[in-house]
Amino acid sequence: MSLTIERGEFVFITGPSGAGKSTLLRLVHRTECVDDGRILFLGRDIARLTEESIPALRRNIGFVFQDFKLVPSWSVFDNVAITLEVLGMPSRLLRTRVGEALERVGLAGRGGDRAQVLSGGEQQRVAIARAIVGEPALILADEPTGNLDPQLAIDLLGLFEDIHDTGTTVLFATHDRTLLDVRPRRVVVLDDGKVADVPHGLGTPGDDFEGEDFEVEEDFDEGAQDSGVRGAA
Amino acid sequence: MGTRDQGGQVRLLRTWRAGRSDWRVQALSIFSLAVAFVCLAAALLVVTNIATVRDRWSRAGRATIYLRDGATDAEIADLQRALQGTGGVAKVRHVTSAEARREVVIDEGDKALAALPPSAFPASLEVGFTEEVRDDELSTMTLKLRALPAVETVETYQRWTDRLSSLLGGGVTASACLAVIVLCAVVSVIGSTMRLLLHRRKIEVEVLKLCGATDAFVRRPFILEGATQGAAGAASAILMLGALFMIVRGRFDHELANLLGISPSFLPWPIALGMIALGGALGAATALLTLRKMVAV
Repeated sequence: MSLTIERGEFVFITGPSGAGKSTLLRLVHRTECVDDGRILFLGRDIARLTEESIPALRRNIGFVFQDFKLVPSWSVFDNVAITLEVLGMPSRLLRTRVGEALERVGLAGRGGDRAQVLSGGEQQRVAIARAIVGEPALILADEPTGNLDPQLAIDLLGLFEDIHDTGTTVLFATHDRTLLDVRPRRVVVLDDGKVADVPHGLGTPGDDFEGEDFEVEEDFDEGAQDSGVRGAA
Repeated sequence: MGTRDQGGQVRLLRTWRAGRSDWRVQALSIFSLAVAFVCLAAALLVVTNIATVRDRWSRAGRATIYLRDGATDAEIADLQRALQGTGGVAKVRHVTSAEARREVVIDEGDKALAALPPSAFPASLEVGFTEEVRDDELSTMTLKLRALPAVETVETYQRWTDRLSSLLGGGVTASACLAVIVLCAVVSVIGSTMRLLLHRRKIEVEVLKLCGATDAFVRRPFILEGATQGAAGAASAILMLGALFMIVRGRFDHELANLLGISPSFLPWPIALGMIALGGALGAATALLTLRKMVAV
């Protein structure tokens, strides 16, 4: 398997359940480690990172999960601020940045609320604010709309697109076909250990891509220097 | 400097945020630690007061020279004059056999004592020394006095001091044993509390690690909490013991002063503060050791 994602791209990762969408994201985040092969992120091989270097990698990556991964007893502000506290940011600047991030996700003025009292959509917005507040180079979203109703899912996708418009690379794992069809984006289909790369979306709603002959990249391009993420196994 | 202060502020806030939801667990831990520390503090209190009593008696600055029955008035007067002229002697008082009997019989009010013959109460010279007299000088003086024909024996209360020293040694050994037991108790209580807190904050630790927090960053609030628990446990023990001490002293102060010759005192500040510091250091070290491997996700 070989896959190259350029810096500033918005890429959907899709495929059937168990295809390895989440695993791919977890490998990039180094929550899991590859058995073989390489994953390059900003020129560094993630698979070869020492345990001490992993936190530095993760500070450069924002992660949004399907189950939000918020601390329920903390306030919205605390849940977002933790990213900046990890970075060692002074409290005054931290307050400003958290306020801006909450405003971007439409939760301005909700910083004092406990995370556990928020709706699912609001909790996911908090998770997105936490992912973007540190201005990471890459955002990994693992089925971020999986627990939300369709309209809310499309709203959140819009939020991710806004974030992408500021130059952030976004890897958006989903099995929700309707989201893939909202706007034509590059789609990477994982199935049975193979990668099918569709540069401009899967086509009109209702089109069945299964069985079509997608090109699977098998060569790993080591020459390019401006890439976001590259992988080869 | 400002950034460092703000960093410290953020760390404290993080610890407070982490700890406030688990205050019941923290309170239970502090109470358990206080019970352990109260044993150590009580032992130290006893040792401190025995040491004070021993010091008081070793510096009592007095001796009793018991005179032979056949000592003449002239010999006694000569001895009294010689003593008064000796360096380090503050005062000399002649207690006759009759006076000695009167003091004992009246004070004790015991019929058996009253029936004793006057010869049972030897005449003596009560000698008071100045503070400057050294132990070796007192020993030399005692030897010389014992050699005099009018002197039966000399009591310097050294044996009493020796017994207290021996008791003090035992107290110190007991306190050291208790300190080891308390150490084990603190390690056990804080270790268990940390494991429990870590379990309760699993999601928090996971989020921190996903955000790129280092192991040291994740451990820091736990270590601060461990130190706080240890110090708070020791401080609570001192407060509890202090309250108990005030009650006991208020009721028995006079009796204890008569019995021991001194008013009992509470733990000196350096010992009390040392115990709190010990509690804090033990708590921090235990938390660090407990979490060293557990935090890795």
